[in-house]
Amino acid sequence: MVNSDGQLFTIEGISAGLIMLLTAYIVVNTTSIYTPGDTHISDMQLEQLGSDALRLMNTPNTSATSAESSLQKIIINNDTAQFSNTFLWFCNSTTSGTNDNLQFTADLYYRDKNTNSVNKIHLTQTRNLIGGEHPVRVTEWVHLNSNGQVPVNNREQAVLVEVLLWRD
Amino acid sequence: MGFIVSFALFFLAIVVNQSTVVGQTTAEGVIEFPKNDIIDVRNEILFSSGIVNPTNLTDVKNDISSIGLARKMAIISFNATPAPPGSSYKNVILIHYNNGVTAYNETANY
Amino acid sequence: MLDDQGNLSIDFLAGMTIFMIALIWISTMVPGLLITLQGKTIDYDAVAYRTGAILVEDPGWPASPPWDNLNDLQKGDIQRFGLSITKDTPNVLSLHKINRFFCSTAFSYPSDYQSRLIFSNFQYLFNISLSTFDRTINESLGDVKPDGYGHIRRYIKIKYPSNTTILAPNYLNSGVSGGLSDNTTTHVFSVQLNCTQLIWDETNVAYQINPLTEQIMVNISNLNNACIFNPCPPNLISLSSIKIYRQNPSQPFGQVREYLSSDPQFNVYIDGSNTPLPALDPPSVNVNNNVSVIFSPGFFFGMASDSSQMYVNYTFTLANPDNFFNNTFTTPYHYDYNPVRVTQPLLKEGVLEVAVW
Repeated sequence: MVNSDGQLFTIEGISAGLIMLLTAYIVVNTTSIYTPGDTHISDMQLEQLGSDALRLMNTPNTSATSAESSLQKIIINNDTAQFSNTFLWFCNSTTSGTNDNLQFTADLYYRDKNTNSVNKIHLTQTRNLIGGEHPVRVTEWVHLNSNGQVPVNNREQAVLVEVLLWRD
Repeated sequence: MGFIVSFALFFLAIVVNQSTVVGQTTAEGVIEFPKNDIIDVRNEILFSSGIVNPTNLTDVKNDISSIGLARKMAIISFNATPAPPGSSYKNVILIHYNNGVTAYNETANY
Repeated sequence: MLDDQGNLSIDFLAGMTIFMIALIWISTMVPGLLITLQGKTIDYDAVAYRTGAILVEDPGWPASPPWDNLNDLQKGDIQRFGLSITKDTPNVLSLHKINRFFCSTAFSYPSDYQSRLIFSNFQYLFNISLSTFDRTINESLGDVKPDGYGHIRRYIKIKYPSNTTILAPNYLNSGVSGGLSDNTTTHVFSVQLNCTQLIWDETNVAYQINPLTEQIMVNISNLNNACIFNPCPPNLISLSSIKIYRQNPSQPFGQVREYLSSDPQFNVYIDGSNTPLPALDPPSVNVNNNVSVIFSPGFFFGMASDSSQMYVNYTFTLANPDNFFNNTFTTPYHYDYNPVRVTQPLLKEGVLEVAVW
């Protein structure tokens, strides 16, 4: 059938073309052009870790009426070194084997009653974010009474501690 | 013309196939659900319900609402009323949390 | 189509196109046939996360009475393991539940745990380890971890139960009986557990002393110095009985239990012995200095409720009349939230790791 009239429409031509298409499709499919990058598992584990650590820092060990949690004491006394120590003590502990090595940066958000705006105080960090990390955000509500140094307004308030956590 | 049609079919077939994979993975589902947020804010609300001074209570309510909206992208509100006399708990607290995807409402006896 | 011009009719073209579309559509679904065959390897991390969440945040089922009160023969009644104290206190674990969970004589790895913790058709193997930061508790369960496994790490606090130590010389009979005879041979000392008050005064279960679900330990020490002339003569003091009374709004005040023979949940230790007293038999036993009583978690659950007051009465018999350890004419010793009298429940930090493969 070699002439100049629409050779593409011969049955052999179509069948050959379709077989080529099918093969090409299957080959391309098995190599997966789209790979949904699943870093979410390590994100989930890290987020659970950070949440647990903050929640336990905010749980006093006894119920004495004046018992404050570590986190409350840290904020009232502005003891950022203690925050770093305690938080890393939690986050890097394992049941066996070598300890972990996590980095974080922590901020405190409070509401200014006079201006009704939400402002930030930076607490501490192991190092600054450079941009290549993939941090997870964990938060904890802390209740402050009106004695001692509190962020502002010197009143009983609820503040939010926000920590960005990542693995190097 | 057939070439164009075939390429179009080829592309469509790949898109249809990959669409089932680009759904939510298990880990994304876990991250998206605000479990720790809700446990956290619930503890704070239950503790705050015991505040006696009404000015302080209003302040804390506004703190939680504003900071919740600004940082957690969630609407958080609560309302505490004293329990009926003779109950084994002190207050009845209504908690409302909604972050656009998950809504949580509770009536707590605390 | 039987000519030599190499054209196809439109009908044939249309039909062929539809056929080809259908063929490609079906071939895209072929990989889906293989999905169920490969399910087990995809989500080790998801199973580990779920197991960790169940252990740390869930109190288990049955939750009330808690599953850790069931004995080894009743383990079929346990539907789910969970170490948390209640559902309102996630990450705060009960020490008794931890001890029960890791008890290898009660539950066997892996079958007992898979049906109550992993919940999957596929028989995952796992390794669960729990330790406090200071390594006073260091428990582990399961196989050695292979090279590839799913993993989750959770941080916890473990609640240690309360206890009280009563110094006998502080609670003597003399001077308080108001003229009634001080020197007798029979002396009764009463310890009160006011369940209503205990549950009302501390609403946070993480710090609450709850006799219904927790261990209660009462140590009486220094009995040797509780006589008129100290130290007490040898062989003077005998413990005759330990009786438990209950007061309920709806029932008359009455005795509900007496220590007669060895009860696994009611353990009495005399003079620092490591083994519990087998029986108060003969009906009294010689005591030199200390009596310790440990009520296991769940001991009071069947006999009391949250509106009861429980009284634990120790009856001491002396060989000769003497002034002794006795609070019959004053108030019962309150086991409550006074930190001077009672060592309060304490939380200790720890870490739990779950590996699944």
